[in-house]
Amino acid sequence: MASQFDPDFPCSLTIDLPLPTARLASAALQALRVDKELSPLVRRSFSTISTASSHKSGEPSLVSSSEETILRTEYKATTNRMLRVAVNGFMESLSVVLGVMEELDLDVLGMEHAD
Amino acid sequence: MIAIGLEGSANKLGVGVISHPPHGKPAQVLSNIRHTFVTPPGEGFLPKDTAKHHRTWVIKLVKQAMKQAGVTIKDIDCICYTKGPGMGAPLQSVAVAARMLSLLWQKDLVGVNHCVGHIEMGREITGAQNPVVLYVSGGNTQVIAYAEQRYRIFGEALDIAVGNCLDRFARTLEISNDPAPGYNIEQLAKKGKVLLDLPYAVKGMDCSFSGILASIDLLAAELKANPGQRDPVTGELITTADLCFSLQETVYAMLVEITERAMAHVGSNQVLIVGGVGCNERLQDMMGIMAKDRGGSVYATDERFAIDNGIMIAHAGLEAYKAGFRTPLEESTCTQRFRTDEVFVKWRD
Repeated sequence: MASQFDPDFPCSLTIDLPLPTARLASAALQALRVDKELSPLVRRSFSTISTASSHKSGEPSLVSSSEETILRTEYKATTNRMLRVAVNGFMESLSVVLGVMEELDLDVLGMEHAD
Repeated sequence: MIAIGLEGSANKLGVGVISHPPHGKPAQVLSNIRHTFVTPPGEGFLPKDTAKHHRTWVIKLVKQAMKQAGVTIKDIDCICYTKGPGMGAPLQSVAVAARMLSLLWQKDLVGVNHCVGHIEMGREITGAQNPVVLYVSGGNTQVIAYAEQRYRIFGEALDIAVGNCLDRFARTLEISNDPAPGYNIEQLAKKGKVLLDLPYAVKGMDCSFSGILASIDLLAAELKANPGQRDPVTGELITTADLCFSLQETVYAMLVEITERAMAHVGSNQVLIVGGVGCNERLQDMMGIMAKDRGGSVYATDERFAIDNGIMIAHAGLEAYKAGFRTPLEESTCTQRFRTDEVFVKWRD
C-alpha cells in the first residue's frame, strides 16, 4: 500500500487497474479525476504507476517495464459504508471508460469502417 | 466542419453528428440517434437508474451514430456534450464518455447548455428569424428572447416545469410512459370533452404548476372513488380523458398567455416552440391562434429535434466552437443548474 494510514479517514482501499498501454492509463486518469468526490467524508487520488514499481518483493519475476500502464486509485473514507458507496460509483464510471477504450478507440473504429 | 454531440440530461440518451458546410450553407444532420429510458406505468425515472441506462447505451449509440454518419474520427472537429442543466448522475455518465473520446481521439471538448441546444436547433430547422422562444419540456419551462448575445429569460415556471406536471399526472393515472407520458396524455385528451374547473396560475410573466397538479390529482382521486360523476352543465359522465383534456387546456392557455406577454414586450410576432412538450399538437394549435391574431406565426420542429437529442448539442456546440469556444478537460464538469442566459452567444450579432 502506497498511502499511509489516516486517522481521519480510517477506511481505505487501493485499486490497481492494469491496462495495455501508458496512453490508456493516462487517458483513464484524466477522464476520471475531473469529477470531484461528492461527499466530504471521502478522499480520492489517482496516479499511474509502472508494473516494475507495483511488484511486491519476493514475487517470481514477471515481465515488467518502466511504462506507467497501471491506473492506481486510492480511496479513503470516514466509514466503510462511505468507502463502499464511493468505490461503487468509481466502478460505474470505470465501466464507461473501459467500454470507450475497448470499442471506440482509433484503431477499433477505424478497423470497423474499413469493411 | 463536423461535430459529434452527446446528450443525456434526462431519460433520453442522444448522439448526433452534424456537418456545417462552409459559406453559411444550411447545417446537415448526418446522424441523430436516441434511446429512451422508459419506466413502467406509474413510475418516474430516478437519477441512479437513468445514469445506468445511459452508461449501458452510450457506447452503442456513439458507434451507431458514427457509422450512420459515414465519417471517420479524422473528420470530427470537436466533441460536444451537455454540461447542464439536468440530472446530475445521468449528465456525469455521458460526460465521462465524452472526455474519453476527447482524450483518445485527441479532439477538443465543447460543453453545451441544454436549453441553448434546443433553441439553436429550433432556429436552424425552422429558419425562424428572431422569434420569442417557448422552451417547454419535462425539466424546463421558459419564455426566452434573444438580445445582445444572450438568450434572456422573460418568464418561467416558478416551481415545476409544465412537462413535469403532465408526466406526474400520467403517473397518477398509471398510463404508459412509452413512448413518453406526455404523448399518451395528449392522445387521451383528444377524447375529452368536459372542461373541468382547475386553478389558473399565471403570475405576471411567470407561471406555476404545482397547485394545478395537486388539484388534478385530487380530481382523479375523486373520480376513482366515484366513477359515476357527471358534469353538472352537460350531464355527461366524466372520464379520465376529460381530466387530461382539462389539464392540457388550462396549462397550455397559461403558456400562450405568458408567451404573448413576452411578444408584446419585445415587439415580435413569431413564436418558436422547442422542447419535448412542443411536440404537442394542441399546444401548437393554441399558440398558432394567438400568433395569427397578432399577424404572426408559430414555428415548431418534429420529435426528432423537439425531444432531447444529440444533434442539437452537436449543432450548438459547433457554433460555439467556430466562434472560438473550448471547454478544457479540467473544466468539463456537469452542473444541474445552468441558466440559459449564462451562455455568451458569440456566434450571433
